[in-house]
Amino acid sequence: MEDLIKKIEPFGVLEFKRPKERRIFIRIKSEFLRDLISFLIGEYDLRHLSTITGIDLGEEIELLYHFSYKHSIEITIGIKIPKSSLKVPTITDLIPGAIFYEKEVHDMLGVVFEGHPDLSPLILPENWPEGVHPLRKDYSIEKLKELIKK
Amino acid sequence: MFETIFEIISLIGFIVFIILIAFFYEWIDRKFYARIQNRYGPLYTGPSGILQPIADFIKLLLKEDIIPEASEKRIFSLIPIIYVLLPILALLIIPINGKGIISFEGDLIFLMFLSAMITLSVFLAGWSSACNFSRIGGVRAALQMLSYEIPFGLSLIGPAIVANSLCITKISEWQIANSTAFIFLQPIGFAVIMISLLAELELIPFDVPEAETEIVAGWTTEYGGGRYALIRLGKDLELVMASMLISSLYLGGIGQIFFIPPIVIAIIKSIIVLLVMSLIRALFARYRIDQVISGMWKYLFPLMILQIIIVQFIG
Amino acid sequence: MRYGTTIKVPFGPQHPALKEPECFLFEVEGDFVVNVKPRIGYIHRGIEKAFENNTYMHDLYLAERICGICSHAHTVAFTQTVEGLVSLEIPQRAQYIRLIMAELERLHSHSLWVGIAAHEAGFDTMFMYLWRDREMIMDLMEEISGNRVLHAINTIGGVRRDINDEQANKIRKYLDKFEENIKNYIKVLETENTFLKRTVGVGILKPSDAIALCAVGPTLRASGIKNDVRKDDPYLLYDEIPFEVITHDGCDVFARTIVRCEEMLESIKIIRYALDHMPKGELKVKAPRTFPPNESIGRVEAPRGELIHYTKSNGTSKPERYKVRSPTLGNLASVCKTLIGAHIADIPMILAGIDPCFSCMDRILIKKRS
Repeated sequence: MEDLIKKIEPFGVLEFKRPKERRIFIRIKSEFLRDLISFLIGEYDLRHLSTITGIDLGEEIELLYHFSYKHSIEITIGIKIPKSSLKVPTITDLIPGAIFYEKEVHDMLGVVFEGHPDLSPLILPENWPEGVHPLRKDYSIEKLKELIKK
Repeated sequence: MFETIFEIISLIGFIVFIILIAFFYEWIDRKFYARIQNRYGPLYTGPSGILQPIADFIKLLLKEDIIPEASEKRIFSLIPIIYVLLPILALLIIPINGKGIISFEGDLIFLMFLSAMITLSVFLAGWSSACNFSRIGGVRAALQMLSYEIPFGLSLIGPAIVANSLCITKISEWQIANSTAFIFLQPIGFAVIMISLLAELELIPFDVPEAETEIVAGWTTEYGGGRYALIRLGKDLELVMASMLISSLYLGGIGQIFFIPPIVIAIIKSIIVLLVMSLIRALFARYRIDQVISGMWKYLFPLMILQIIIVQFIG
Repeated sequence: MRYGTTIKVPFGPQHPALKEPECFLFEVEGDFVVNVKPRIGYIHRGIEKAFENNTYMHDLYLAERICGICSHAHTVAFTQTVEGLVSLEIPQRAQYIRLIMAELERLHSHSLWVGIAAHEAGFDTMFMYLWRDREMIMDLMEEISGNRVLHAINTIGGVRRDINDEQANKIRKYLDKFEENIKNYIKVLETENTFLKRTVGVGILKPSDAIALCAVGPTLRASGIKNDVRKDDPYLLYDEIPFEVITHDGCDVFARTIVRCEEMLESIKIIRYALDHMPKGELKVKAPRTFPPNESIGRVEAPRGELIHYTKSNGTSKPERYKVRSPTLGNLASVCKTLIGAHIADIPMILAGIDPCFSCMDRILIKKRS
């Protein structure tokens, strides 16, 4: 484990914690995301992406990539991106299974994954108003209900 | 004059009888199928649910009648009627009462024509519905016909060669006269006619044209209300037609035994055929269309040719 | 057979092969699929958003309502996640009861699926028999929890109901019968020619593809990869119970059927072991109402595969963010891959092969109230 901390040092690690035996949280600077993931794929064969969680933090959106190492240790890589430029490079070329997770985050939070093959809506209906992302904190349930009535 | 009226009345009576028999067979089929699957089947309408098929028929007649806007309306609404008339016509040829109502030399060929027409009407129904599922179902029905039609025709020819007649009534009478049955003389032929009629009737394992989980209801997808009621009736009539045909051609013919009238014999024999069909329906999964076609051509066709050769040169 | 032109065939939102409304748009050339585009979200119920607006205690019941088939798996994941926020240890007996319910649910879910698979192949008799036997499991679950579907047996910090000796004996008795029947069905499925024709070699998912597309659960195991959250990342008391992870290297729908059938047999063994080794004791510990700022991940092997819950607390009684990823979404990418090149007739078989549960997958829709 110490080994892992040392090895990922050059990737702009902001936080490293291990609350439980098989749970690891790593938070890094957003520009190192692809480098770190491709490094981990090469070094630890980290190819199972469980899901991507997007969290609205107010000014920023946090993306958490939940990987599992040998299906056993859950490694979560977190990055933060400012709402002013919601752009993240896609990882579908590294992990093809990420395609629907990225789409889901795009639908729900409006994060644009650059290089993603098809960002058409997956979950939201076709006539959904542009720019409304239901999981953002500034859309309360009441507000969304009103939107739907229209 | 008087005779003509009597004939017409008896003909109408016969058709009503046939339709009642069709409902009765549907009930037997459903009940038997359900019992194999450890279910009850129809239960409430009439004793043991015997009136359920009639109730279903009436219920469907009362439903809203919809013709899809994009369909070929004339063909679309004509098909259900044709679909009911064709098996009734076939049943007039088959000697249900010991002798076919219209019986002539060569009616076997006419029966083959009718069975081909049934499939053709299915194809037309699928095509005229203007629905993807119906279209696929119709095309599948036509493809399936290409596979079973020839073995089916050959399996009709087998008994005809031996009985030296192309008339179903005469083939039936030949078996009674020689007190034998073609199921013993031509067992391969019997197997082939069973299989190809299963395919004709679109029963599992050959229910590809209306595979529920794949293409909704296949070629019947767009039909509803009275038209669907007719199609269901047509299917029941086909069931009667197929089981009667097999019992008259292969199960020793239909004629009086001691004091039992031929009609009772016909019903008993055809119910046996029906139960075998239900059993097969319950015990197998569905084949895929390409598997049906290749299987029919690879196994059924050569087997049937072999049977004909045996009949011609040995039997 | 190539015809040069493609037709678009929609599967769903209403289609008899899909038991829930979901749309797959197929591009078909002749009898073969050349492209597929899934459109999910028809039963999006806004659950993730609703989680943020309710207390943890309410969320427990919301989590139960994510899915009608694996409702218990979702609450196990929920309680695991929320208890993880404050590192709450729950009593052993409670863990065993959760585990027994989880395995009973696996039995019912798998028998349901195998029945559906048989039905998709046109083998209705097998479907009827499996669903008849599934009723026994449903009765057992009702006996234990009082409910057939939404068991409401989990609570934060333990369980709400006990299993007494009488119930334990009833479970043992029913399981004996169930096991015998399942063994019988496996024999039938392995020898029935028409079923084999429809499943063997259909919907091939190569192990390399399965890994690359992040498949989970029985789908992954049927591609020969030994992976089971119960074994790899043990929760509850799975590390104390001996059981096998079933794999099959057929990579096709048949392999998925057999994997699920044999998993049922393993589940029966697990339940028997758990009933024999269940200690007496408390059912629950007191859990806090508010949780300090923290984050936690819960992983559970639901009947359909790896189920992940993530939560972030903010010191109040409501979560800041709650994320659910159900196994069906994890398998969606792999099923789209296997569908390309398949016969139209095989689409339902392949789609059903991942045991899709679209309610789980969608989760969010803002419901109109009249």
